[in-house]
Amino acid sequence: MPKHYRPAGKKKEGNAAKYITRTKAVKYLQISLAVFRKLCILKGVFPREPKKKVEGNHKTYYHMKDIAFLAHDPLIEKFREIKVHRKKVKKAYAKKNRDLADRLLNRPPTYKLDRLIIERYPSFVDALRDLDDCLTMVHLFAALPAIEGERVQVQRIHNCRRLSHEWQAYISRTNSLRKTFISVKGIYYQAEVQGQKITWLTPHALQQVLTDDVDFNVMLTFLEFYETLLGFVNFKLYHSINVNYPPILDSRLEALSAELYALSRYMSSGRLPGNPESNGFIEDKETENDKESSKTDESELRLAQLQHQLPANEPGALMHLVEESTADDTEEESVKECRTLFKDLKFYLSREVPRESLLFIIPAFGGTVSWEGEGAPFDETDQDITHQIVDRPTQSHVFLSRQYVQPQWIFDCVNILRVIPTDDYIVGRVPPPHLSPFVDNDQEGHMPDYAVTLERYKSAGQNQVMPLPGDEDLGNSIVEAKSEHDEFAKKKRELEKQEKKYHDELKMEIEGTTFSNLSNKKADSAPDVADEDETQAAVEQAEKDADDIAKSVVSRKKRGLMEAMKISNDRKKSKVELLKQRKKAAESSASAKRR
Amino acid sequence: MGRGEEEDKAVLSPGVEDDTADLSADDSPWSDSALSEGEDDDEASLSFEDSGEGSDADSDSDGLEEEDDAAAEESDSSEDEVAPRNTVGDVPLNTWYKDEEHIGYDIEGRKIKKRDRDGRIERFLSSQDNKDDWRNIWDYYNGEEVKITKEEAKIISRLMKGKTPHANVDPYPDYVDWFEYADKGHPLSNAPEPKRRFVPSKWEQKKVVKLVRAIRKGWIKFDKPKDEPNYYLLWGDDTDTADNKRQGLSYIPAPKPNLPGHEESYNPSVEYIPTQEEIDKYQLMYEEDRPKFIPRRFESLRSVPAYEKALREGFDRCLDLYLCPRTRKKRINIDPESLRPKLPSKKDLRPYPRTCYLEFKGHGGPVTSLSVETTGQWIASGSSDGTIRVWEVETGRCLKVFNVGADVHHISWNPSPERPILAAIVGRDLLLLNAEVGDEETQVRTKQLLHVEEQTPEDDGDKKPAVRWVKNEKFDGITLIHHRAASTVEWHSKGDYFTTVVPTGESRAVLLHQLSKKHSHHPFRKLPGLPVAAVFHPTQKMFFVATKKFVQVYDLQKAEVVKKLESGLREISSISIHPGGDNVIVGSKDGKLCWFDTDLSTRPYKMLKNHKKDITSVTFHRRYPLFASSSEDCTAHVFHGMVYADLNQNPLIVPLEILRGHLSSDRRGVLDCKFHPRQPWLFTAGADSVIRLYCD
Repeated sequence: MPKHYRPAGKKKEGNAAKYITRTKAVKYLQISLAVFRKLCILKGVFPREPKKKVEGNHKTYYHMKDIAFLAHDPLIEKFREIKVHRKKVKKAYAKKNRDLADRLLNRPPTYKLDRLIIERYPSFVDALRDLDDCLTMVHLFAALPAIEGERVQVQRIHNCRRLSHEWQAYISRTNSLRKTFISVKGIYYQAEVQGQKITWLTPHALQQVLTDDVDFNVMLTFLEFYETLLGFVNFKLYHSINVNYPPILDSRLEALSAELYALSRYMSSGRLPGNPESNGFIEDKETENDKESSKTDESELRLAQLQHQLPANEPGALMHLVEESTADDTEEESVKECRTLFKDLKFYLSREVPRESLLFIIPAFGGTVSWEGEGAPFDETDQDITHQIVDRPTQSHVFLSRQYVQPQWIFDCVNILRVIPTDDYIVGRVPPPHLSPFVDNDQEGHMPDYAVTLERYKSAGQNQVMPLPGDEDLGNSIVEAKSEHDEFAKKKRELEKQEKKYHDELKMEIEGTTFSNLSNKKADSAPDVADEDETQAAVEQAEKDADDIAKSVVSRKKRGLMEAMKISNDRKKSKVELLKQRKKAAESSASAKRR
Repeated sequence: MGRGEEEDKAVLSPGVEDDTADLSADDSPWSDSALSEGEDDDEASLSFEDSGEGSDADSDSDGLEEEDDAAAEESDSSEDEVAPRNTVGDVPLNTWYKDEEHIGYDIEGRKIKKRDRDGRIERFLSSQDNKDDWRNIWDYYNGEEVKITKEEAKIISRLMKGKTPHANVDPYPDYVDWFEYADKGHPLSNAPEPKRRFVPSKWEQKKVVKLVRAIRKGWIKFDKPKDEPNYYLLWGDDTDTADNKRQGLSYIPAPKPNLPGHEESYNPSVEYIPTQEEIDKYQLMYEEDRPKFIPRRFESLRSVPAYEKALREGFDRCLDLYLCPRTRKKRINIDPESLRPKLPSKKDLRPYPRTCYLEFKGHGGPVTSLSVETTGQWIASGSSDGTIRVWEVETGRCLKVFNVGADVHHISWNPSPERPILAAIVGRDLLLLNAEVGDEETQVRTKQLLHVEEQTPEDDGDKKPAVRWVKNEKFDGITLIHHRAASTVEWHSKGDYFTTVVPTGESRAVLLHQLSKKHSHHPFRKLPGLPVAAVFHPTQKMFFVATKKFVQVYDLQKAEVVKKLESGLREISSISIHPGGDNVIVGSKDGKLCWFDTDLSTRPYKMLKNHKKDITSVTFHRRYPLFASSSEDCTAHVFHGMVYADLNQNPLIVPLEILRGHLSSDRRGVLDCKFHPRQPWLFTAGADSVIRLYCD
């Protein structure tokens, strides 16, 4: 009997029974491909790779259990209902029965995704672990143009904006932002929430163009799920810090596109429900804003705003955030460090810098910030401002009491968690290279120059508290850093020396063995320099031989693996080599220019 | 005008009168009609008409000026009254009454006489005389001449223009709704109200009942569904771990997107920015290999533009998430060195040959084979320059040169110390000769041993004998003339028996010879393939024959196959037996070396791929746990090969050293290697006509 023959009535076994191709799955579920896609996206079902592809190599296979999982979902019935509803509306229009059509349109079948979220992420940590894509997508859609008639509904874009701001407000509030990076693609942020590192990308604050080469149906389905997920995640996070969700925002600030700021105020209000001192102010404010509703929520909001403004106006007063930091001593070291990075600093943003990003980052590291425009907590003339973030070729009017820095300074400070000197970042200067905080330079094998400098700043900060920029101690600290650097160099030199010695010994060993008389050889070779090349070759040969001979005992499989690894290592090395080469070329050209 | 008519009549009359002469009695109607037609005739004949008519005609005739109005009023009536005299109706007058004298009948049934029309000339004349002649029209039906009035002419002209006949008729008058709707309380119809107007509808009732029922049962809801809060605390405490298990198949989380490196910065270091040349070079690459992202440098943050591929990259990520099959793959992120097996350090395995100590130079061609004497004092080497040389090991002095005159393929020293005999394959035959080393007593014995009488040709009949023992005069030895070219010769450890292999010898391929009896035979009739080499078991009465793919192990006493070792190699080139006898190594022409543990299995215990080219020879050391292989790639590899007395412990194989030094000549490298019987020394014979000795 041929191997492939299966008697009638005998069930399939193995991979043929376990896996099903996509076409068959669609037929099996009796739905259209579009609905199947949507279901897969929402349920998180993905194709699998069977060991043996029974139906052919170029097909997509799903596990039969996954398909059964889809088949039992109530959502599938809901999608059928939606289809029927759409048909009904169409028919009503075709029969000119506008009443019926309107009535039907008023009650479309709806579905909820909360059940799916708990199904896919049974514990909260699971949800946080998978949040990277979600955040990137929501932030991307938040940056899309909210224009009626485009392929994305305006309402959804607004929802994305709201969700992203809520998330950022939480991160900023809990000081859990860890790393930031300005890339060409946008700004990357990495936060640590409940021990999970969450990285997301926000596009630059410029309008994105809707391109035609993407399928918005797919993206919007993903977005649908992500919106729900982020909503629930935000709820849980807000719940964990005792703040109501969804937050009620100050419409005035919202209108000024300072939602994030409004949110942060709201959150701080949730934390501090009452302050007897500022009662009088409340009344004042209330009378001022008679028109505004007198809901309790609103009054709380006002209170929060006042609290926010109150200390800011008084010189020397600490921010409420800082107050809290003294209260919580049990916090982790890293959080504390983040919280106090910009503790005594006051920032003012010029209008040309990316406001949303900086409004997010600076408070996340304990700084006080204001901006040019309406609704700002304090204005440019404030005497306490220590840093003004500007991004323009020249600054015409200069306050002597503050530093004028480019926005990159904030990002670099945040990444090494030190307030670094602002000399390189002064207005009009080309800032030093911006380096990715996500790269392990040692592992990569190449250390950019500026990374060394940053490292020095960091280690200098560890020994002593970094003085405020512009302080006299600055030179001192640099000297110290230098001395440390020297030490490092010395160590390195020593290491090199040792290595050299070892190599020499190895060489001698080889030379000695070839002539079987070590002392004799030594005497011979000492004056002979021409021999060195030969011995060098011999050393290499010996190393290679040792390598080869050891390889011969290794099994074929492992040998293949070793070779593959070697190839990848070589590739990595060649990349580093290329970098070094480029650097050398750049340096030489620069020096030539100088001449 | 009137006169003209009269004249007309006058003209006409004679003819008519001619006609009517005989019909005069019936004439009156005709004349009546004729006269009545002419309205403005003031003839007496009018009197014939009834009074009303006549008066009309009279009034008409009064003045032509007033005629217009009067005619307008009265022409209808007068024409109605003065009905056509003829009553025949619409019949073809031309055919029916063509030949008759009358043209029809009047209302009283009297015949209406045909009247002749004026002749053409008369008509012409009258038209010339009378301006108004165009008004006279001949009425065929009544057979009379009619004069059309001015009014009638107008009507005709209007008709011809396609207008309404009467000038004062308005074809499009304003619509006058004659019905007064206002204050009319009653319908137009006077029909009684139908019943259905005031009896409730059955169908409506049914529908209402249905709706009521639906409402009562809650199928129809009027209140808008309450907006439930969109978000709530979905995850409770995470402490309950049992509940928090995801159901179903194992979930493979999607890999996270790669984190950005330095090169993605808006302001990367200079070394990350490719030069223009490199960017141009990318265009030559395949599209898959081409870097997706080319780093750029911006002087300040404000000059960074929007990233145009943002949406596309988001979409690609979505596609990856829902379309890519996910499998768990073990990512090995280890140092490749760690994959190497833990081997004992080389220092512990000393002594073994590591460096070249001596070179034996003298041969004029590739040294094909060498053999070491049992005491280890001498070595013999055969070369393709046609000489066999005997060397002293310690000094490197060439003791003797035998000029045999043909290529020496293989050489083997008798393992017995009392018999300093060399067996060498010279050309195609085997030569046994006295090496002439050792004391005189042994020399004498050897000479005796190498004495052979002239053999009487065996009575094999037609078949050529496999081997003939012939005395070699030149070297005072014996030549064993084989039926085909022999390739290798190997001694038994006792030194009396030896074997030669004749690869093309078919059923007589492997021959066993006994030196003392000068006897040969070929016990192995059938072999699985061409034989390559044959070796005696060092201790037992066993015999190994290596064919191209297999190694056959024979029991010599029972004369049967004991084992068949499957090498799995392409072509075996050499074989060597461990002094213990249970382990065999085999070298192959594809550079692989197989270690067989015959107790363990008939398949290789270990396969080593160490050489890049053919292995020419493999050899075990008799005392030390060493073995070596030599190859055409000009190297010899030395291994530590420990065989334990404990049967449960597998042999330990450790590669020790690659011995280099030989030069390639004619694409051949090291042709043979042999260990010193007592010392951990290795002799290698190279194609560069040098023999090297490697010591510890």
